Amino acid sequence: MSQELKDQVTPITRRKMFKKKNESLLSLRISASILALLFVVAIFQPFFYTVDPAASDLTLRLQSPSLGGALLGTDALGQDVYSRVIAGFRWSLGIGTVGTLLGCFIGITLGVSAAWNRKRLRIVLSRAIDIGISFPYLIIAVTIVTVVGRGFWPLALTLGLVCWPTIARIVYAETLTLREREYVTAARLFGIGSIRSIFTHILPALRPTIQVVAAFTFAELLIAESGLSFLGLGAPLGTPTWGNMLNESRLYMESAPWMMFGPVTAIILTIFAANLLGEGLNAREQSRSTRVSQ
Amino acid sequence: MKARSKAVGSRLLQLVVLLGTISTTLFLLLRLSGDPAILLAGEGASPETIDAIRADYGFDKSLLQQYLMFLWDIARLDFGKSLVNSQPALGFVLQYLPSTLHLTFLAVFFNSIIAIPAGVWLGAKPTQRRRKILSTVVSVAQGTPAYVIGLLLIQIFSVWLGWLPSIAGTGTWAWVLPTATLSFALAPNLIRVVAASIEDTTRQDYYRTAKANGAAPNVLLIKHSLPNALLSTTSLLGAQFAFLLSGALITEYIFAWPGLGLILVQSITNLDFPTIQATVFVVAYLVFIVNLLMDQVFRLADPRLRRGQL
Repeated sequence: MSQELKDQVTPITRRKMFKKKNESLLSLRISASILALLFVVAIFQPFFYTVDPAASDLTLRLQSPSLGGALLGTDALGQDVYSRVIAGFRWSLGIGTVGTLLGCFIGITLGVSAAWNRKRLRIVLSRAIDIGISFPYLIIAVTIVTVVGRGFWPLALTLGLVCWPTIARIVYAETLTLREREYVTAARLFGIGSIRSIFTHILPALRPTIQVVAAFTFAELLIAESGLSFLGLGAPLGTPTWGNMLNESRLYMESAPWMMFGPVTAIILTIFAANLLGEGLNAREQSRSTRVSQ
Repeated sequence: MKARSKAVGSRLLQLVVLLGTISTTLFLLLRLSGDPAILLAGEGASPETIDAIRADYGFDKSLLQQYLMFLWDIARLDFGKSLVNSQPALGFVLQYLPSTLHLTFLAVFFNSIIAIPAGVWLGAKPTQRRRKILSTVVSVAQGTPAYVIGLLLIQIFSVWLGWLPSIAGTGTWAWVLPTATLSFALAPNLIRVVAASIEDTTRQDYYRTAKANGAAPNVLLIKHSLPNALLSTTSLLGAQFAFLLSGALITEYIFAWPGLGLILVQSITNLDFPTIQATVFVVAYLVFIVNLLMDQVFRLADPRLRRGQL
């Protein structure tokens, strides 16, 4: 923010904005730190185990949580719930990341192409986006997963392949307005080609929008992934993922409710952090654009 | 009138393209992932059975021929027989439709009567402290997956308190928990959108004029804010309706609610492809109907659309 722009803002609104800006920055900081911490846990997970998550000791089955023994209790096979929740981070965050990256790649490609082109391609692509957005993608994901099978990569790629319509729609709308900006028109008049203009003028300007959408998509894919695993369609049985653990816990709700609480907390915390990140980024972007327009 | 038939036509085209894409994808995936005859016969089937299935389903013909046959069958709504009980797949799936619709309507109804007043209350004065508490609760609750809510509700109300049954068809109150689960899962989103729309209307010129003319706060809220706010909410309700027809997948599974979601999960576990396909087609058709109805609701609610000004 340059000095002249700051001076154009009257003091009273500046104070108000300062407060508002700080609020949004705070939620941004909190959510980003939580997520960063969770990613650290996911990457360096062996350091966070108390015992090996795969080790099962049938003499210790269905132990209730205790500070001396299993922190979050043990499951029906005597596996440690806490360590399995930690192990679940790598699976969930990994699938969320891969899926979001793929979804963003497809969504941005289609959205930008649809908005940049003024002819038939636009009609076809924007119709395709409309169709994709009108249909609940979980159903398609479920059907594809049936055929391609369980496992990390099939699941991550399937989710990435089906989650693009929302991203594409938002990128499309944003590109449509960006394309009419003076600097883009000027570049066109100077004879700068489409590809170069897209990479130097459109994509950098799209970055804030894409960050917001990516954060929300990430949260959505975490829900989808754990849901599919919960149904027994995502992770191979026995893999320590939150969905699997919740599915196993359903049989022991009366005798061992703690089997459920660990994964539930992990899921809610992660999704909350990702949503908060999206909202924080969004608020920051909006406060920026209102300041500029004033 | 012309605009309307054009809108219906474009939705119809969407449906056809969507169904075509889904079925082609399924066809290709099924053929690419290995010999479908072996898949259909199941593990450990004898070579004679596999050959019989191959001839029966026409898997010995060329890929193009198979594809055309497949499309022709689908065009006649013939999805084949369910591999589990040999009933025609479509009829089998349609038996489960009423129960899904039942749950969907209940959930949309309760979701609306909880979320719309809450959203209006929140949006009318968003900066008040106690309303901020609600908005914090809402943003935490938003994004909690439906099945997590379902499991927690079962844990509390069925296991610990023993008040409500957790399995469908066991007692008159079996609908309460699945409905509550879906309503809780959808309400935060709706509350936020209603609140944002209400807040948005208060910044409009016509609102300020009415206020300057001395309209009472309640009149202002109910007569001037609400109609416009609900208009933008309608599209979300439509989307939620469409989501429920499929998103009830996991909720139906948890509560053993005999609907489309449950049948889809079961047929996937059994690798019962005709049933899977029939279910996906039924859901796509329902979503199409919902979208069509939403278009009409919009036209009724928004005079600008009716006059073709938008």
